Amino acid sequence: MAERRKFKKRFCKYCEQKVEFIDYKDLASLKFSLSERFKIMPRRLTGNCKRHQELVTVAIKRARQTALIPYIVDRKNVVENPFEIIK
Amino acid sequence: MNCYETLFVIKPTLTDEETAAQIAKIKEVVAKNGGELLATDDMGMRKLAYPVQKNDRGYYTVLFYKAEGTLISELERNLKINEDVIKFLTVKYTNTKEMAQFNKLVDAANKSVEKTEAPVATEAPTETEATTEA
Repeated sequence: MAERRKFKKRFCKYCEQKVEFIDYKDLASLKFSLSERFKIMPRRLTGNCKRHQELVTVAIKRARQTALIPYIVDRKNVVENPFEIIK
Repeated sequence: MNCYETLFVIKPTLTDEETAAQIAKIKEVVAKNGGELLATDDMGMRKLAYPVQKNDRGYYTVLFYKAEGTLISELERNLKINEDVIKFLTVKYTNTKEMAQFNKLVDAANKSVEKTEAPVATEAPTETEATTEA
């Protein structure tokens, strides 16, 4: 009871920049919402609003289909700097 | 008329001329079926995030065009048949916000072409002449 939540108040990065549409080819803007294993980061960690999370999700899935970003990063083919590759 | 964007990846094993020929072929399909090509964006040779048909790299090209919906099925049929194309994705831009973005992308693609074209312009016509002669 006495302990309060210590989280910072989260805000949507995309709302702040007034992003209307997220292009799946623009990997720099997707990077923010990807974990280091290229999973889609949940909203509770990134602070994205629901609308932008939905846009990001679609964009990431399209980028995966076109082999711009990987579906999975596993131990079988380890990459040293995963973010270096997808510049 | 709707706005569409098609991205396709060509095999890395082809020579420069062959890739150019493939891209021209696909553009021709768009033109023949009443599509209006607005811009092309050559992303060039890139490393693929995962192997596709045992290829580690691929040549990316993006076409922006306006066309009727019937063109898409014809274009995708052609892309499927073509063995040199290893990946493709078509995206439709519908509502006003997306349309605005589409126009932005077209402008950006055109601008980048203009920049690169200045030095390349002297080389490009000679290549096309060579292919027509052959």
